Amino acid sequence: MPSRQYATFEVADQLFGVDVAQVQEVLRFHEYTRVPLAPTSVGGLFNLRGQVIAAVDLRVQLGLPPRDLNVPAMNVIVSVDDEWVSLLVDRIGEVIELDDDAFEPPPDTLAGAYRNLIVGTFKLQDRLMLALDARRAADTTVPVPAQHSA
Amino acid sequence: MDELGDIIQEFLVESHENLDQLDRDLVALEQDPGSREMLSSIFRTIHTIKGTSGFLAFHRLETLTHAGESLLSRLRDGAQQMNPASADALLAMVDTVRTLLGSIEETGGEGDVDVESVIAQVQECIEDPSAPKAKPAAAKAKKAAAPEEAAAEVQVETETEAEPVAEAAPEPVAEAAPEPEPVKTVKSAGPSPAAPPAAEETGQNSRRSIAESSIRVDVDLLDTLMRLVGELVLTRNQIVRGVSEVSDPALVRTTQRLNLITSELQESVMKTRMQPIDHIWSKLPRVVRDLSGSLGKQVKLAMEGKETELDRSLLEAVKDPLTHLVRNAVDHGIETVEERVAKGKPGQGTLTLRAYHEGGHVIVEIKDDGAGIDVERVAQTALDRGVVTRDQLARMESREIIALVFQPGFSTAKKVTNVSGRGVGMDVVKTNIEQIGGAVDVDSTLGKGTTWRLTIPLTLAIIQALTVECGAERYAIPQVGVDELVFVDGQSGQAIEHVSGAPVYRLRGKLLPLVRLDETLGLPVRNSDRDVYIAVLQADGRRFGLVVDRVLNTEEIVVKPLTGRMKDVGVYAGATIVGDGKVALILDIPSLARRSHLAAEAAERAQLDHADTRPRGGSIERLLIAGIGERRVAIPLDMVTRLEEFPVERIERVGSREVVQYRDHILPVIRLASLLGCYDVSEGETVPAVVYTERGRSVALVVEQIVDIVEDHIESRSDLDDDGLTGSAVIQQRVTELLDVRRAILAADPRFYAEMSEITNSMVGA
Repeated sequence: MPSRQYATFEVADQLFGVDVAQVQEVLRFHEYTRVPLAPTSVGGLFNLRGQVIAAVDLRVQLGLPPRDLNVPAMNVIVSVDDEWVSLLVDRIGEVIELDDDAFEPPPDTLAGAYRNLIVGTFKLQDRLMLALDARRAADTTVPVPAQHSA
Repeated sequence: MDELGDIIQEFLVESHENLDQLDRDLVALEQDPGSREMLSSIFRTIHTIKGTSGFLAFHRLETLTHAGESLLSRLRDGAQQMNPASADALLAMVDTVRTLLGSIEETGGEGDVDVESVIAQVQECIEDPSAPKAKPAAAKAKKAAAPEEAAAEVQVETETEAEPVAEAAPEPVAEAAPEPEPVKTVKSAGPSPAAPPAAEETGQNSRRSIAESSIRVDVDLLDTLMRLVGELVLTRNQIVRGVSEVSDPALVRTTQRLNLITSELQESVMKTRMQPIDHIWSKLPRVVRDLSGSLGKQVKLAMEGKETELDRSLLEAVKDPLTHLVRNAVDHGIETVEERVAKGKPGQGTLTLRAYHEGGHVIVEIKDDGAGIDVERVAQTALDRGVVTRDQLARMESREIIALVFQPGFSTAKKVTNVSGRGVGMDVVKTNIEQIGGAVDVDSTLGKGTTWRLTIPLTLAIIQALTVECGAERYAIPQVGVDELVFVDGQSGQAIEHVSGAPVYRLRGKLLPLVRLDETLGLPVRNSDRDVYIAVLQADGRRFGLVVDRVLNTEEIVVKPLTGRMKDVGVYAGATIVGDGKVALILDIPSLARRSHLAAEAAERAQLDHADTRPRGGSIERLLIAGIGERRVAIPLDMVTRLEEFPVERIERVGSREVVQYRDHILPVIRLASLLGCYDVSEGETVPAVVYTERGRSVALVVEQIVDIVEDHIESRSDLDDDGLTGSAVIQQRVTELLDVRRAILAADPRFYAEMSEITNSMVGA
């Protein structure tokens, strides 16, 4: 049975996962340089061992109010088109291995911002995990549609 | 097979270098047709290419170079003289060789590049001066029997080749190849190995010292080194900052040493990437020759500072803009021989390229002694194209007007030529230079010539920057655009003033438009204008002040490109990591300047609207209040182009009038006191003056003192007018007289408006 590993994390109490192959590292960071005039989804820039990394606020990408960046946030650093981008999340979960047949396309009822970023859902024992499209999640150039259902 | 590939690669690299040298030599040869040394050098280069191409079985290349060689050998032996026709033929041959090499590089083969026509052209030159008919016949025969002939030529060549090589090895770097040299290979594998060795050996020996002291290094490796040094510099900055907070003498000493070594390392690594600017200049004599020839002009190209070095990536970036400026100077700058003679100039124009170091930058000047830029025509074109409004134009100095040529879509070419004038012009030059953190400006005197000046950073990756603080964040401003820093001291009563909502600062009498960084970036705006810093910046030919909270220091920063998402914002040129390890954004001065420009425009529009909708007398006017004795006189700010201080002794008399020399012009001066019929009591060494400029014509109005700039709602106005006044009003609780501007100007220069309408008429007529 083909299977895939997902790095999981939580944003607004919802469990998300990205393909573990795309994840470079995970770290906690608290000093971000704000980028005035940039889209609100750009939380800020930070220095990762000499590299300037842009941190994307997943809350904003999901149509939620922006995160308070004075509180340390977890960064999931993913590689998108040979470029490192950090996704700001609430909490880091485990790396889980999932069979491909547990995968289902996103439900039709999924609305707004979520729908753009989700490629599918996985039924875990007690909860659902939404598989994120890392590239779309990291793309701050697309305006976030307003969210209608929670 | 792979080894052969390497040999071909070497051959290509070396040949390209040689061809550049050849272009230069051929053009130089035209100036000095008798130089045997030059001819020998050219001959050797072609000969080397021919030999190697024969060995590598590139037969077209071989036949072609062979034809060239035949002509060259005649020239060298004095059998015929160098003339424009043979120069053309040889240059055409070099071009075709280049095309062939290009084809070999891309496809590995010679393709179907046409060599016959060029060979014919070259041979025509050989046949021309009633040469023995045997030669062309032989040349034709050679096509069939090339290898043997080539070998024979090699033997003939040896005597001449031996001595000049020693002093003038034309390709020192190329010789450093770790790979077996093509020349050597020819020697061992050539069809006739017997004769050449002796001579080749001699050459080899004299070159060895160069070969042993240098190696060929992959550019990628240098790039990596540069990047690593950049990281090291950043880490050093962080350590230096960290150590300054602890008091451990040993650690402090070590840090100082680290600091020093890092700087030296950085300098050394930067040096490895440095190349003399001659690398890109070397192609220009040819460009100038061909272009001036096709335009029927005579242009002498002079170069100063060829050895000035620049980072190779910057050289690459500067190449196209430089070529464009040179072509432009030949095309539009320098006049035809007849025009020049008619103007009393020598028929041959001079184009001077000058490169030199200045304050951590390399300055490249392109200077011609041609027609110069016509300010009036630039102004008219700018108006026609809607680049500026008539109102703005009236306020601009000629230098600022000339700088309009850098605006997108601007081209003053009378006719579209195949050289320039297609609307892709100076704006592209400017964008390209700004992309590498440089700047370009222009200075021109009508009839005398034009100088374009490129200011280029020494290296791309590491730049000098000023770090400033605004709100909670730090920002870096590239030092290249910073003219000066001004601290607005709340104590001394200096202040930021407002001109219909737009902030300005009086910098040595001139009004400097300001941009508030906090406002521009949409940050919370601080309410006090006191104790702030103004960074006076220069871009797009205009100066403006950037208001920031604090100026921290200048440091070397490593520019990190921003990703697409942040680049779109437009205000940032990149990001960097500063001393404490935090990321700081690098501000893009040109885009800030555009914002300041827009702000200024908006202010002007708002003011115009006011003027249109409100009846005169009840309108808000911006006024400059000048003091004359006890009297206060209000001058509309519209007529204030600049505020100046003139030393009293510089005011001279011409007939009954007073004048002052000002920016290469004679500026008519009128004293406000005498205009208003009161006693002139100014005693100081300098007098303040209001300079009004319209369309390049200026007058100066000398006042006793500048009191203030006010924005006033003038309601109480009386018609109690005296000579030279339009009335009086109460401004700041004091009765202030309103100056009759037109009268004042006419008193200074009776022909001020007359000339103006003449100019307008002639421009309409043109």
